[in-house]
Amino acid sequence: MSILPRFDQVPLPPTSATEYNTVCQFCNVGCGYKVYVWPVGEQGGLKADENAFKVDFTKPQAVLKGQSYTEAMHSTTVGKDGREYNIVIVPATNSPINQGNYSYRGGSNALTMWSLDRGTQDRLTYPLLRVGDQFQAITWDDALALMAGIIKGIRDRDKNDDNIAVKCYDHGGSGAGFEDNYGAGKLFFTALSVKHIAIHNRPAYNSEVWGSRERGVHELNYDYSDARLADTVVLWGANSYETATILYTQHILENIQGSTVAEKKKVFDKDEPAEAGYLIVIDPRKTSSYTVAEAAAKNRVLLLQPNFGTDYILANAIARVVWERGYYDKAYLEARTDMKLFEDYKKKSLKLDVKYDEFMAQAERITGVPKAQIEQAADWIAKPKGNKFKRRTLTIYEKGIIWNMKNYDQVAALVQLAVLTHNIGRPGTGCGRQGGHQEGYVRPPSPTPGSIYNGGPPVNVDKFLTSGKGKFYWVIANDPYLSTPNNQIFRKRIHERTKKLTRAIGESGEPSTTQGRIDAILKALYADPDALFMVVQDIYMTETARDAHLVLPAAGWGEANETSINCNSRLLRLYEKFMDPPGEAKPDWEIFKLVGEEIAKLYRAEKKNDVAAKFEFGKNWKTDEDVFLAGSEEFADNQVSEEDEAKLEAENYKGVTYAFLKQVGQEGIRTPVRLDPKTKKLVGTLRRYTVKFGTADGKFKWYGTDDWEGYPAEVAKYLEGNKAKEYPFWVTTGRVQHLWQSTYHDRQLPERVITHPLPYAEINPEDAKKLNIESGDLIEIFNEEGNAIYMAYVTDAVKPGSIFMVMYHWRGTSNSLTTGYTDPKTTIPWYKGTRANVRKVAGAIPFIKQTASFLQQNKFS
Amino acid sequence: MQRMLSRRGFLKVMAMTAALFSSWGKAALAAGSKLKPWLAPSLPYKSVKVGNVADLTVNKPVTFNYPDANTPAVLVKLGKPALGGVGPQNDIVAFSGVCTHMGCPIQYQGERFVCRCHYSMFDPAKAGQTYQGLASTWLPQITLTVDKKGDIYATAVNGLIWGRAKNI
Repeated sequence: MSILPRFDQVPLPPTSATEYNTVCQFCNVGCGYKVYVWPVGEQGGLKADENAFKVDFTKPQAVLKGQSYTEAMHSTTVGKDGREYNIVIVPATNSPINQGNYSYRGGSNALTMWSLDRGTQDRLTYPLLRVGDQFQAITWDDALALMAGIIKGIRDRDKNDDNIAVKCYDHGGSGAGFEDNYGAGKLFFTALSVKHIAIHNRPAYNSEVWGSRERGVHELNYDYSDARLADTVVLWGANSYETATILYTQHILENIQGSTVAEKKKVFDKDEPAEAGYLIVIDPRKTSSYTVAEAAAKNRVLLLQPNFGTDYILANAIARVVWERGYYDKAYLEARTDMKLFEDYKKKSLKLDVKYDEFMAQAERITGVPKAQIEQAADWIAKPKGNKFKRRTLTIYEKGIIWNMKNYDQVAALVQLAVLTHNIGRPGTGCGRQGGHQEGYVRPPSPTPGSIYNGGPPVNVDKFLTSGKGKFYWVIANDPYLSTPNNQIFRKRIHERTKKLTRAIGESGEPSTTQGRIDAILKALYADPDALFMVVQDIYMTETARDAHLVLPAAGWGEANETSINCNSRLLRLYEKFMDPPGEAKPDWEIFKLVGEEIAKLYRAEKKNDVAAKFEFGKNWKTDEDVFLAGSEEFADNQVSEEDEAKLEAENYKGVTYAFLKQVGQEGIRTPVRLDPKTKKLVGTLRRYTVKFGTADGKFKWYGTDDWEGYPAEVAKYLEGNKAKEYPFWVTTGRVQHLWQSTYHDRQLPERVITHPLPYAEINPEDAKKLNIESGDLIEIFNEEGNAIYMAYVTDAVKPGSIFMVMYHWRGTSNSLTTGYTDPKTTIPWYKGTRANVRKVAGAIPFIKQTASFLQQNKFS
Repeated sequence: MQRMLSRRGFLKVMAMTAALFSSWGKAALAAGSKLKPWLAPSLPYKSVKVGNVADLTVNKPVTFNYPDANTPAVLVKLGKPALGGVGPQNDIVAFSGVCTHMGCPIQYQGERFVCRCHYSMFDPAKAGQTYQGLASTWLPQITLTVDKKGDIYATAVNGLIWGRAKNI
């Protein structure tokens, strides 16, 4: 018996199966996968020459070395030819990134494919139009005519595109990539001039790391091999065991366990000491990235738990220790960095005017991290080895830094510590993002040049919409009803505004023709300025889609060719199409092209041929590769010397074709790609900024960070007077191993829904005891922004007085409680810090108590 | 963390669970599903005696081999009711001893199974579900039966053992 369908045999792909190369659809790591497709009814044999794996299954395979092929790696689908196919998706043993290893999420790639045999049958398959309170099927022709008619109607009335608001991804992977991003960019920035556009996970169109980029350091500057070569790896606000699982287990863990010493010896200087690496985890929580390392290599790991929002103060304090102890190379600083600006850094960040003891006492008070730990971290990061050799430290940061308060200063402080210690541009070093998704950005110039120091900050599109502005809202492959901050207000206002339009056009029966509908919608939008038309383009019905007027079905991963880079190595690979999209679903780039062409028709009818031409940007796009090649024209000339890689865009792939990528397969090529001036061949960039930084003069641009000014008003209100008693808990939010870049699929998979039936919140045993809460109990977490009913999860991962809420679960979002604060320098929200209270609602739901596990997730030994 | 339910309460919940899962199972695997031929148990497993109820101590795992002489499996009395558990307390369960992630041996470590290769962890009281770590497939649970003498028999494996295309 089993509570789920379990299998005790799986069909092997026959030698006749078609084999494809791809990369996992989920996280930043970008593990390589192989796909096999063949008709249902056939299967290969157990002998090596009888199956497409060429593996002998008559005997068990070698542990860790064999080809993993589990129950979760097989599914079936139906092709456009009406035939049923087996799909097998297994980790690629020839990928340098994962080397046959795979995560919980990637191991289930097959289960997420559209199938009539699996929960994923629920994909969107044709356009849906809201008629009153129902979604009804319509044709693409009608859907496109409706989109074009309304967009052009708004432009005609307004003479600009300011009432058109968009929320669209900018990442690669997950069924997106260079092709789809370029399609979006051409429609929104070349044909239209959309100012009110926000990126999938935040309220504006901005970089999350301007604090690094404006110093001359793109955030993707290291290689996965640096995680194997580093003397010390720092994970700062990045729980990589759970959110970059294979980078952590296959590379970082092997390093601290001593398995990579031989590799170090090959690369390090003559006589340079090489030993097992050290790991520093900096996080307010005792994360599994720390406890796994503690179980695997107890004396080589350090945990620093700073107070909320104080990371940049901690980074500056570590830098001050580095300065005091002389762990820096003056010649390097003079040659490679802007020494005039360095004075500003010394004054404002290192505060050399303040005596060391006084400075450190202050840092200890603000951050809550003991001085001894700050000094130990400085030693592990920068103390020379054998007094002669510079230490090699790789710093990987992610949302704990990015979605912290004061985004700009946090990021700047980290990258400056890395440059001060010459920990960028050498083997075993680097300072960059772990990444969330993979990347794949190529677009015409965007409407926002940079932070407040470079023409910014960008517009907060959430606030634009909730304040009643805008008439047309197009949400593409993201779910703001879960993902945007101050979510309760956002949901309420978008619901109200879309409902106003629905009511207005349905007052006396809805027009039955597309033109009639366009006219009625435009009339209603201008009669009531608060009315809003919403389009959702996605692969499933999302939470946001429940208020949409039009829903467009998009193709997902594996249903079109696409290209992306991963985050740890900027490794560009081709993700081959291996199955058809379900029903009438189309790739995003094609939808953008078709909308453009439909608008162009309306301009041609009015003889406005010059305007029409701008909307026909996709007229030569017949295949996905056409879009990929067109996108490459946006990049700078890449025929430059090795040292001038610093001047190239991080994702520059000029000259690369699909044929080239097919040839290199899982080896890929690392961007920025150069056309070598001597050999005239395409070469990748292993690691960046070895010779120059990415600034006009090639020098690193220092920045003096702000003083500690306490918390922003939106959160400070909870720390004073009665409210401090009413909302006694700090709340932080984040992702977990099993719900990471995958929840849109997870809810379709029974094994996921059983293990994570509800969103959960971690609470310390001390607090749980006081509130009579046990794991599994229903609790309400609430503050003045909003409320969320969560499941309690008692664990020492959080300190007493803190709650950790899982983000983006389909049964409730932590963002109902987050404030509307954004960093005034960048418009990046602080998703990871607010205050709240907790009350017990009831004991566990009996069914959940019986079926879901409540064992402690950070306890490995 | 987990309060014990009374036996009566437990049976009631188990009956409810079974009813829910039988309908859920159908939804997850459509009536005409092409996956049916491989649904466990699809192979001719032998019934093998693996112990006696009277010999088991709570939290003291017993290793045995199943479904063949070279394949490690673990029998354990959890001291609390478990999904698929047998014996008077419904607390005796058995699982494959091979991690479903990459084939490493798993260890029983007070309430949980841990794999030391990449730290996947499985809950033996909850059908071997992966509650942390990399293994995207739950640990295969071995079907147990108990006869009047208290002898425990392994009769089938629910789930694919790593490294194979079929369990036997």
